[in-house]
Amino acid sequence: MTIIRRREFLAGAGALSAAAAFGLPARAAGSLTAAIYPGTWEEAYRNVVAPALKKDYSVDIAFDSLFAVDQVAKVRAARGVPPFDCFVLDPGPAAAAMQAGLFEPIDASKLSNAGKVPKGLVTSHAVTCNAQVVGIAYNPKKFATPPKSWADLFKSPYVERLGLTGFQTTFGTVSLIEIAKAFGGGIDNIEPAFKALKEAASKVAAIAAPAALPGLFQQGQIDVMYGNTNTVAILKGRGVDIAYIAPESGSITFQTTLHIVKGAENVDAAYKYIDTAISAPIQDALQKAPYNMVPINTDTKLDPALDIKSLDELSKMVTHDWTKINPVRAAWIERFNKEITK
Amino acid sequence: MAGAIAVAGGATASGERVDWRLAAPLGLTYLFFFAAPFAILLGISFYADAEQTRLGLGSWVKFYSDAFYLKVIFDTLKLGFFAVAATTLVAYPLALVFRASGPRVQRVLIFVILMPLLTSVVIRTFAWIVILAREGVVNQTLMTLGLTAAPLNLLQTELGLVIALTQIEMPLMLLPLLTIMNQMDQNLVDASRALGASQWRTFFRVVLPLTLPGWIAGATLVFASSTTAFISQTVIGGARLVYLPALIYQQATVVYNWPFAAVASLTLLFTVLAGIMALGWLGRFAKT
Repeated sequence: MTIIRRREFLAGAGALSAAAAFGLPARAAGSLTAAIYPGTWEEAYRNVVAPALKKDYSVDIAFDSLFAVDQVAKVRAARGVPPFDCFVLDPGPAAAAMQAGLFEPIDASKLSNAGKVPKGLVTSHAVTCNAQVVGIAYNPKKFATPPKSWADLFKSPYVERLGLTGFQTTFGTVSLIEIAKAFGGGIDNIEPAFKALKEAASKVAAIAAPAALPGLFQQGQIDVMYGNTNTVAILKGRGVDIAYIAPESGSITFQTTLHIVKGAENVDAAYKYIDTAISAPIQDALQKAPYNMVPINTDTKLDPALDIKSLDELSKMVTHDWTKINPVRAAWIERFNKEITK
Repeated sequence: MAGAIAVAGGATASGERVDWRLAAPLGLTYLFFFAAPFAILLGISFYADAEQTRLGLGSWVKFYSDAFYLKVIFDTLKLGFFAVAATTLVAYPLALVFRASGPRVQRVLIFVILMPLLTSVVIRTFAWIVILAREGVVNQTLMTLGLTAAPLNLLQTELGLVIALTQIEMPLMLLPLLTIMNQMDQNLVDASRALGASQWRTFFRVVLPLTLPGWIAGATLVFASSTTAFISQTVIGGARLVYLPALIYQQATVVYNWPFAAVASLTLLFTVLAGIMALGWLGRFAKT
């Protein structure tokens, strides 16, 4: 019974070496590896950015699909031998990665499109590639009057149909900060948000992992949630009854940024990639269905599906200081675990 | 399958010489990619702070002195226990039907049993959202039949999670059980019946002890797999049910508290191992 036949052994060894071969990254001349968020982002960047990069600069790009926090974790774990050349990050992880010294500085003169991006969106270590707008999403077929403010979410009939998520994601964190503000708190005093969450916990339709919310909305498990316009536009595009509404206190906005990883091998190709991503034709293609990403290039004419009239509107929206949020976020997450779980 | 493992163990013990070099590729792979990272994990757990600057037992003390985390361990074990119990209750009757049926029906059954393994766990999990949601199949059926006025909340509950895990993990229980069922000597069952034992008595005194090694192998797989089923636990269980895998993910990638994540990982490893050893201990009562 313990005798291994030669053929079986060879098959096993063959499978092992095949697996090893697949694991090797492609590092030809004029190529780079960029981290990208799974889902729409990966789809968009593979279908829109990659072909343009190949056509304009003959640079080959490989994508490593990872959430922001996973990208930072992977680069930290690699300790100086980065597994990819470019990050795409939300402000929280970006601030943490900046503090940990994981970025190469950005030389704006190497980006031909840097001038087309509003001031402040190209910084010493980051290039904004897209803005995100966060507010309230609801099912217009289920509610005659939409929830108008963050506080409304915790009132009947909305609270019974609400889908909640915690502080793991950027949109969840900023929404909960706004909820705290609606009940008299803020970044420095998150207490009111927890009070509202605890009272609502037994009534709400779901308290879910952030990635599960769109699916739950689509399946009718929840009819109200907080989320970004991008998610709303995608669900709408797939025939889901969903509408976006800016809360009375204003929509929240934050930027998604591209960065070159400290010690990256393909810095020149990385600049070409970033330059392509922020160019007007690409930004225009990315704002259209099914991607619906809010553009940051001033030459781009805004698509009506995005629920934003002009890029100037972004500067009037609510923003948050992540250098203040990051130090307390771990404690908020732990508290959410302990107080909201059953 | 389990029978094969048990018998193989006996064969090596009885002195059949095996060239150890055959195991070298896998052994070395384990050494480099399991033993070494495991040592690093163990080392990291002895940092007292998230920045990994101070050595100390701080992370261990924090984890084990907090009632919340002890409850997370307990809930994780409980989930594994429920999954094993539920798969057992469903798998034994099916295994008996399998044993009694002809080769053609057996082939169909094997296909049906293997089917879940051929689809990705993400798809199986999402399918359960469609089934268990407020407007899902179960609730619509119940409401059409007039059994309930308002939709039941099945998602985001332990019950819903156990139901989904029972289906998702079922092949792991059934395959070892079917193998050993087919090896069981029908004469023993016939003898028991001929000597006047009832069907139930025959089941508990003959079939169950003879198939115990298969059940133990199945239960081990189901237990290990359901306690570590990160995707099903987070998607179907939601954020209000915290189990060790989700806690490890959160601490490692969102909070960046690696020492604490290492303590949670080691805890998961040892609790699952303890469960497996308890099942192995049961194996001493098997009659092979």
